[in-house]
Amino acid sequence: MRYGLTSALALSTAMTAVVPALAQEETGGSDWSLAEAAKPYEGTTVDVVFLLRPGYEAAKQMLGEFEDETGIEINVTDLPYENALGEQVRDFVAQGDLDIALIDLVWIGNFAQNDWIVPVSEIEEQFPEIMDPDLDMDDFFPLVLDAFGTWDDTVYGLPFDNYSGLLFYNRCMLEEAGFDGPPETWQAVMDEYGPALTGDGKYAYALQSKRNETQSADSFARFLWPFGGSFLNDEFRSNLTSEESLAGLNFRQDLMQFMPEGIVAYDHAEAVNALAQGDVAFITEWSSFYSTLASEETSRITDCLGVAPEPEGPNGQKPALGGFSLAVAEQADDDEKAAAWLFIQWITSKENAARYLELGGVPARQSVYEQDGIAEQYPFVPALVESWQEGVPEFRPRFAEWPEISEVVQNYGTQIMLGDISVEEGAERIGTEMEAILEDAGYFDGDKPLIQ
Amino acid sequence: MRGSVVSNRTLWAFIGPAIFVLAVIGIVPLIYAVYTSLHYFNLTDLGDVEFIWFENYSDVLTSDTFWNAMGRTFALLLIALPIQIAIGLMIALLLHKPGLTFLKTLTRLGLVLPMATTYAVVGLLGQVMFNLKYGVVNQMLGWFGIGSVNWIGDPQNAFVLVVIWDVWQWTPFCALILLAGLTTVPDEIEEAARLETKSWWTVLRHIQIPYLVPGLVAIMILRTADTLKLFDMVFTMTRGGPGNATEFISLLIQRTGFRAFDQGVASAQAVVLLAITVILSQIYIKIFYREGP
Repeated sequence: MRYGLTSALALSTAMTAVVPALAQEETGGSDWSLAEAAKPYEGTTVDVVFLLRPGYEAAKQMLGEFEDETGIEINVTDLPYENALGEQVRDFVAQGDLDIALIDLVWIGNFAQNDWIVPVSEIEEQFPEIMDPDLDMDDFFPLVLDAFGTWDDTVYGLPFDNYSGLLFYNRCMLEEAGFDGPPETWQAVMDEYGPALTGDGKYAYALQSKRNETQSADSFARFLWPFGGSFLNDEFRSNLTSEESLAGLNFRQDLMQFMPEGIVAYDHAEAVNALAQGDVAFITEWSSFYSTLASEETSRITDCLGVAPEPEGPNGQKPALGGFSLAVAEQADDDEKAAAWLFIQWITSKENAARYLELGGVPARQSVYEQDGIAEQYPFVPALVESWQEGVPEFRPRFAEWPEISEVVQNYGTQIMLGDISVEEGAERIGTEMEAILEDAGYFDGDKPLIQ
Repeated sequence: MRGSVVSNRTLWAFIGPAIFVLAVIGIVPLIYAVYTSLHYFNLTDLGDVEFIWFENYSDVLTSDTFWNAMGRTFALLLIALPIQIAIGLMIALLLHKPGLTFLKTLTRLGLVLPMATTYAVVGLLGQVMFNLKYGVVNQMLGWFGIGSVNWIGDPQNAFVLVVIWDVWQWTPFCALILLAGLTTVPDEIEEAARLETKSWWTVLRHIQIPYLVPGLVAIMILRTADTLKLFDMVFTMTRGGPGNATEFISLLIQRTGFRAFDQGVASAQAVVLLAITVILSQIYIKIFYREGP
């Protein structure tokens, strides 16, 4: 669906020009201030779901500043990731309290198709006076804005908690084995790094593969794209039995010889811990785990920690892409909508990006990573910025049916890794069930556009 | 025989609130689930809700995934429940012996702890304690020269782990119910039996077990219902994996209802599960239960 990406980029670029210009015209340009814009909404309470992750802890530390300046109260409900989708869907269906939707990139199709979230253009039209002239949509990484906040060429959410897959490695282990740097290709992992770094109870690589979103997003999808594979072809039929997809999945299977036993029970915590304890030489994990691996309280390899982009496959470097945007919920009343937008705009602003980064969040603002000293202070930044040039928005399809398809992938994906079924059989079964889900949803009757 | 001196009004005042609460939290949701099960009802597609008769039931009853999950659930029940009853009975018999009052009181208190622990916490504890590399269980096995066991990452071991964890949490429940049953055996009958025979088995078989039957039936009904509903512990520990090794029926219903958001099919699965639970309870009562010893 490349046309989707292109159009979305065009739209976001257009919005970049239009939104601040309109806002400036309406509000008198530089006279705009958050406190003034928020005055009519003083005393409003905004309800939002946060996750138990570093980016949200960072945001929580900043909430007081926003509340003091605006008089708007932000009421946060903390949830684990696995509960966040269900809780929000139930709230929206029941016309509940949530005023902001927290949107994982794979939920945006679901939320947008059900009209649970408000396009940014509608907010701008309804409340021109609250649009920050310095919003600067063009400052968001285009890939991130498109993948996390955009559906069917319409921008709904602003990127808030942003990740890219990175290669975290133990430089000391690599040097002891005679390597000057981390692997740049998956083939090098298989041929050189794997054999040299596996033995005596140590392993070259740990790929988190537990049966949940970790299996489908972090493990299965990670070996499709760099090898030229994908979940779906242009007609929305399964592409998992294509030569490229099977090559990637077979590669993952072969690579298991260099992974710890029981890798299908590894979630993020186990993989990060394996590297942090010096048991594996490298992992491919979300950028947000940098703080865990760099902290002496949680890691034994702080002096040896290195960060690089994920290795390339035959189809280039297609790192895992994940993250969350914040959008105004349709069910909120007008005051709550305005207050919610003010908060979203503020927490994702250029102005606050450096502070958010300092507190443990990962902003999607390009400008903050161009500041002097940032790359030195946060060694994951160069790899992150590079990854956000190469990613695929539909790394996991973002339509409403993904959670159901993900469950199918999780089931057969782990069975493949355990050797209970062959790669070919597993790919076939996932493809058949995936197509059945898409057929029921109406994609093949023309009821739904082929957007992922 | 005099008629009741309590007026109907008073009776309703006492039992009315209970009936009201039961209706609100039990019966109304059940009726709504039956209603939902007869519709195409997807939370992410509420514009297309449609009455479809028994199509959801037909889908459920012909689904291999459903019956595989049901089979796994009954395998768990048939393995775990006899172990829980057997160990529970042993503990109850030991605690029923005279003497060591203080120690027995402490033991009885200790028995409550696993039951009082939240299911989800039990699962999280299992995830940590049975970790292949860092888990305390493998470390303890190592003291006896036994190699590390891949508890959570191997399909068979993961199932065994769920059995072990269920037995750990619910054997005390069986023990306490059976201990209560043993205390209902009249002292004079038990003493007379012990004068007649020195065989503990004979005393157990002919004197004590008849008094334990009501408790055993209660255990079987409650544990069957609990096992069919088992969710939190498995969800937090294995999430149904690896593969589908621990995907029990409640996990499947949750997956259908809150990942695929297909409330219609999930409700049909839940209604079928309820029907199976009720039928099993009736069978238990018919086969095992007798009024009095």
